[in-house]
Amino acid sequence: MKMTFPHMGNPIIYKKLIELLGHEIVCPNKPTKKTIELGVKHSPEFACFPMKAIMGTYIESLERGADVIVTSGGHGPCRAGFYGEVHKKILNNMGYDVEFIVFDSIHKDFKGFMKNMMKLVKHSSLLKVYKSFRLVYKITKDIDYFEKIIQTKRAYEINKGECSKALQEIISLYDKVQDHKELEKIKKTSEYIVDNIPIKYVEEDHKIRIGIVGEIYVVMESSVNMKIEEVLASLGCEVRRSHYLSDWAEHNIVPKIFRHDREEEILKKGEPYIEVQIGGHAKETLGHIVDYKEKGLDGIIHLLPFGCLPELVSQSIIPRMSREIDMPILSIALDEQSGLSNNLTRIEAFVDIIKTKKKRKIVS
Amino acid sequence: MKKVYLGVDIGSVSINLVAIDYNNEIIFKEYSRSNGQPLISTKKALLNLKDKLDGNYEICGVGTTGSGRQLIGMMLGADVVKNEITAHATATMNYVKDARTIFEIGGQDSKMIFLKDGFITDFAMNTVCAAGTGSFLDHQAERLGVPIEEFGDHARKANRNVRIAGRCTVFAESDMISKQQFGFSKEDIINGLCEALVRNYLSNLGRGKKLEPPYVFQGGVAANNGIKDAFERELGAKVFVPENFHVMGALGVAILAKEFIYETKRKTNFRGFETANIDFVPTTFECSGCSNVCEVIKVEVNKEVVAMWGDKCGKWTNSF
Repeated sequence: MKMTFPHMGNPIIYKKLIELLGHEIVCPNKPTKKTIELGVKHSPEFACFPMKAIMGTYIESLERGADVIVTSGGHGPCRAGFYGEVHKKILNNMGYDVEFIVFDSIHKDFKGFMKNMMKLVKHSSLLKVYKSFRLVYKITKDIDYFEKIIQTKRAYEINKGECSKALQEIISLYDKVQDHKELEKIKKTSEYIVDNIPIKYVEEDHKIRIGIVGEIYVVMESSVNMKIEEVLASLGCEVRRSHYLSDWAEHNIVPKIFRHDREEEILKKGEPYIEVQIGGHAKETLGHIVDYKEKGLDGIIHLLPFGCLPELVSQSIIPRMSREIDMPILSIALDEQSGLSNNLTRIEAFVDIIKTKKKRKIVS
Repeated sequence: MKKVYLGVDIGSVSINLVAIDYNNEIIFKEYSRSNGQPLISTKKALLNLKDKLDGNYEICGVGTTGSGRQLIGMMLGADVVKNEITAHATATMNYVKDARTIFEIGGQDSKMIFLKDGFITDFAMNTVCAAGTGSFLDHQAERLGVPIEEFGDHARKANRNVRIAGRCTVFAESDMISKQQFGFSKEDIINGLCEALVRNYLSNLGRGKKLEPPYVFQGGVAANNGIKDAFERELGAKVFVPENFHVMGALGVAILAKEFIYETKRKTNFRGFETANIDFVPTTFECSGCSNVCEVIKVEVNKEVVAMWGDKCGKWTNSF
């Protein structure tokens, strides 16, 4: 049995977990132009973009020998909940013999979740399972911690590309971690790496902070979102994004009594704009916008896959919201057509608006 | 010698070049079709400018905008390379001080810019559909055998209302053809088309936004008074077309270049009129560094590489 999973953000966390539980693994490649072409070719035309990109990723991993796919489900009107089934059907029709393990939310279907879990942990003792989960959870937290520092520093880096390189280095260090002792050591080394990136001085008044919100796949996966974080950094903007893996894990896996749940807080903030959960991340998107406003960020970029149902709902609420809370918000729909120069023009103009708005505030 | 500042707007269809003096007065302007050859057409415009200035003026700042801004900016040695939205709004605010909403329709894309107290507050840009832009009108004019310059006058001669579907250019065309078969006149159909485009533009870009007068209409399509009329009917308000509506992008970026030079007290990077004689050779190659296989564009001058872009990972771009 060789396991694989979708590629979203940093794959090392899922990779680590499955490895620690004693399974063989085929780590998915970062989606490339070829992956996306492959996915588009074998997906229904009107499915949303993440479904297509993930389709391509699966095919590539299966070609490399994987035969079990582990993925997450979904709920509500968002179609992602069905994608496990759809992917499976298409792959079977293409002649691949593949098993799917789809994790739905533990809070909605405890029995099903545990059944899937048993498949994953078959050979491990309970103690080992607990230890593996704890280690991976800590790694996730650490990586997210460093990523946030990089997202801040990247805007002011003196040598172009150095921050992204440093992050890669840190991730590959964490890739080798086997126990808690090593974890401490590597955290120190990583601290040293990020502290030593030379940055230029910018006055507090002139700093620009932008929050990226939207559907989780396009927000997290830089290969399909035009590397938006790096684009913004090159325009001198600090970046925060609405989804980090550690938050997702906390919300979906850690039992309620043990967690300080940011997600619940965010959902509450989105409540005045969308009353009910409509699936996907629509409510979170709006909640995050309110949250970022409260935290004093200067603007929001809203990313959605072309044809994403929940995000279309939030997109239609955004103009009103933008007026009400006085926050510039730019929505960008992404799909396999890159239209890069068009989007760059938009992003540049958007940052210009924020800059003049800020300047005006300083003057008055 | 008097000081002038240069602005170049290089779009998909046209190239606009403007030279302004310190008071933002236009000394030279040129609007021509780029025929998909931005380098050659820029050189041509540059030589025309040289003739016109006749050694009496000194170029103290250069700005570029439009989809070819990087390439032409590199070629000219631009001080400012800016996006079209900021450039257009800058020009408008200098000439129509209290403008609140700008409609800008060009060859490939259309924009709507919202202003307040002399600042851009918001904007919208067409996404997946180019319905209503210059290229589509060009194509329809050709099909109907009407010179594009006379399109607007034909629309004004219409005496019946024809409703044409404007959501998508392909369907607009088939709808037009079917209306032709019903026997409507060319004038009626052209007018219907203008109205359809305006309807589509307003609902596509203005969705969820509040449009406030005074309205300014610019970009190449503003030459078409059929569209202007349709705007006025739809909005129930006057739409103002500025005198230099077709070169507003170039004008805006010239102003930005001037301000930049004035604020930073720097000397311009302008390569001089000799640029028109230098050969810029763009070539492309496929990078085989990873499975992205990006198409990388490389520009050479005298066998020396001066710029590279197009790679996703920044391996080549960052080497400069």
